[in-house]
Amino acid sequence: MRSFPFTADIYLSLFESYNSTIWPAQAVAYGLGILALFLTLRPLAGGGRIAFAILSAFWLWNGIAYHLMHFFQINFAALGFAVLFTLQGALFAVIAIGGRRRFRFRPDVLGWSGMLFCLFALLAYPLLGWLAGHDWPRAAAFGVAPAPTAIFTFGMLLLLEDRAPLYLAVIPLLWSLAAGSAAVLLLGIAEDSSVLLGGVVGFGLLVWKRQQPSAIMAATR
Amino acid sequence: MGHLTRRTFVGSVASLATTATLPALGQSVAPGAILKKAIPSTAEQIPAIGLGTWITFNVGSNEKLRVARAQVMQTFFDRGGRLIDSSPMYGSSEAVIGYGLARIGNKGALFSAGKVWTPLKPLGINQMENSRRLWGVERFDLMQIHNLLDWSTHIETLKAMKAQGRVRYIGITTSQGWRHGDLERIMRSEPIDFVAFSYNVVDREVEERLLPLAAERGIAVIVNRPFQEGVLIDRMMHHPLPPWAVEIDCTNWAQFLLKFIISHPAVTCAIPATRRVDHMEENMGAMRGRQPDTRMRARMTRYVETV
Repeated sequence: MRSFPFTADIYLSLFESYNSTIWPAQAVAYGLGILALFLTLRPLAGGGRIAFAILSAFWLWNGIAYHLMHFFQINFAALGFAVLFTLQGALFAVIAIGGRRRFRFRPDVLGWSGMLFCLFALLAYPLLGWLAGHDWPRAAAFGVAPAPTAIFTFGMLLLLEDRAPLYLAVIPLLWSLAAGSAAVLLLGIAEDSSVLLGGVVGFGLLVWKRQQPSAIMAATR
Repeated sequence: MGHLTRRTFVGSVASLATTATLPALGQSVAPGAILKKAIPSTAEQIPAIGLGTWITFNVGSNEKLRVARAQVMQTFFDRGGRLIDSSPMYGSSEAVIGYGLARIGNKGALFSAGKVWTPLKPLGINQMENSRRLWGVERFDLMQIHNLLDWSTHIETLKAMKAQGRVRYIGITTSQGWRHGDLERIMRSEPIDFVAFSYNVVDREVEERLLPLAAERGIAVIVNRPFQEGVLIDRMMHHPLPPWAVEIDCTNWAQFLLKFIISHPAVTCAIPATRRVDHMEENMGAMRGRQPDTRMRARMTRYVETV
């Protein structure tokens, strides 16, 4: 029995309907994403709080507006995804409220990797979708669809000034593995191979970052 | 088999009637008529081709696609169809069926076959009520336990619903071959009217035990995955229809594959799924004309195995 109760065409038509319904949320999400990335380049007082609030907003939006209110129409499993995305959003919200963590771009391997992930989510992912024939509005948009949001999240966690707690990357990793492999293997959504790859590489880099001596981390501040 | 009850007696008589009325090679369903099969527990006749909705009817709220599926349903009813099968597992399929039923004519003959697919009794009751609301029907003709999920709980609910007249028939389904042992035990122990499992010209394991058991116990059989979810028919489309297919009035592969299934005496109804009106017309054509007999069925099997 096919594992998915829907076809790629229906999946993309859901995006068509979703994108039409939520417009101009996509433009707002792009603006917020660029602001979060700017805050890693020009750290400001309270910048970490703002960036985590943006990540929280992305994940809560995806959990409620995308999974629960739209994807659940065609996929019963979306109810579980909605719970996980909302939980991830709540985790980011708690850290935003705590206000102790900051983002800072450092011109080293981890810093450039984080920047690459973020730019990929903002620019390259939609370009890959377009090349694969998934024209707007039948496409996953940054910040309001799970795939680019997960890639962007890995990028931002790599841009954290300190080591990122791995629990913050567990749900993005699980989503990347499950959704990425299903989208590629069962639906033929080629651009989502980047989600699968991004999840594995992103999580691996976060683990590697945690293994760096804290003195080096401190020296690079 | 245990002692003879009214149920098994009626079932046996109905099965014999079905077998007896199965046209032999060269014989035909009367011109303009369609092949109907008896539900053993009541002898009620239903058309041998139904409509499955797995994947194909899960189109969300897309208005254009919902209208297209309503056209498929209209064609189904226009060609004599009755049984439509769905499940809460199929995403928006139930809502899309309800959308279609509310907009098309000639639907009075609907035989609604829903499913319960959740653990726990209260969740099951709520789910069945939600399904009924989505379909927009007063009651389901048939309510089935989907993939045996928490079947021992739901079977008691379904028996009570049937006793109260809130559903006409009850049944149990699986599309998973590894559950056939459990299914067989349920068929032997529970008073179900219907059972549903997969069967087609290449997946014939059920011919050994489940189909004979259904006939013995007087249980109607719904066949799911008649085309292996499209894999089988896609494979056959690369090969020519054998010239002798005209002997059973087949003009396309869909009819060839479906006639093989519905000509089995123990099969009551096959439920191919489609999103296209032309495919629906092909499917419904399987109920017309001459049907294969035992010798022809063996020939069909050999042919498919060689291509």
